[in-house]
Amino acid sequence: MTQETQVIHQVLQGDIESFRLIVERYERPIARMIRNIINNRESCEDIAQDVFFTAYRKLASFDPARSNFSTWLFTIARNKSINALRKKRPLSMSELPQNSDIHNPSDELAEREFFDKLDAGLEALTSAQKRAFVLAEFEELSYEDIAQIEGVRTGTIKSRINRAKKNLAKALKEIRYEK
Amino acid sequence: MKSEEIYNAWKERKSQIDIRENFADELMNQIYQYEREKRKPLFDGPRLIELISAHRFVKAGVVTAGAVTGFVRIMFVVYAFLAC
Repeated sequence: MTQETQVIHQVLQGDIESFRLIVERYERPIARMIRNIINNRESCEDIAQDVFFTAYRKLASFDPARSNFSTWLFTIARNKSINALRKKRPLSMSELPQNSDIHNPSDELAEREFFDKLDAGLEALTSAQKRAFVLAEFEELSYEDIAQIEGVRTGTIKSRINRAKKNLAKALKEIRYEK
Repeated sequence: MKSEEIYNAWKERKSQIDIRENFADELMNQIYQYEREKRKPLFDGPRLIELISAHRFVKAGVVTAGAVTGFVRIMFVVYAFLAC
């Protein structure tokens, strides 16, 4: 029995406080995944809370023989993100996340422009491509886990990620030609 | 800047996230509240009244059910009286 399975078992036995360990372990990856999919910093934490609350209510239905816990949790987050995207208003460029670590103003401007292009490239991907890309690149999940989350074959995930990378590479090339 | 450097810097930025400090506390409060609600008996008196008064159709249903029951009871009495 893994430590995580043990915690789940404790929660199911009525030790509610143990669920905090799960929340603290996954709050960042889940919130980050949602933010990168829906591209909205404000609502990603509320959706993440909804993900954990749903996970708590449905914890008894989690079957460790079918998937690992993180895959199960990311599947809930994936479904909530899709629902949120359906309701989402278009995002303006001014709402895109900013980097504050750069000190040289010209570098900052150039890098900001690159990032904006990449953000726009990410936004231009199909929803399925974006989810696969975010899970693979930012959450560093295996293709097998992503396939399980998305409910498709591993080959489909590979092709979605390849297409996503090609589109982002194209966005990067466009910047270089414009310069 | 090389494309790869730009991409890696972008990826690093997208991998950073700040979430509010009380995220877990808020969630745990929500869960405790949910558990408290779950443990309440479904049909205790005040909750039943609250439930009925909160929904127009439930209110109408209760009044209709009362009227029908009353009418049926009167009909039974009348029938019993006539049968004698």
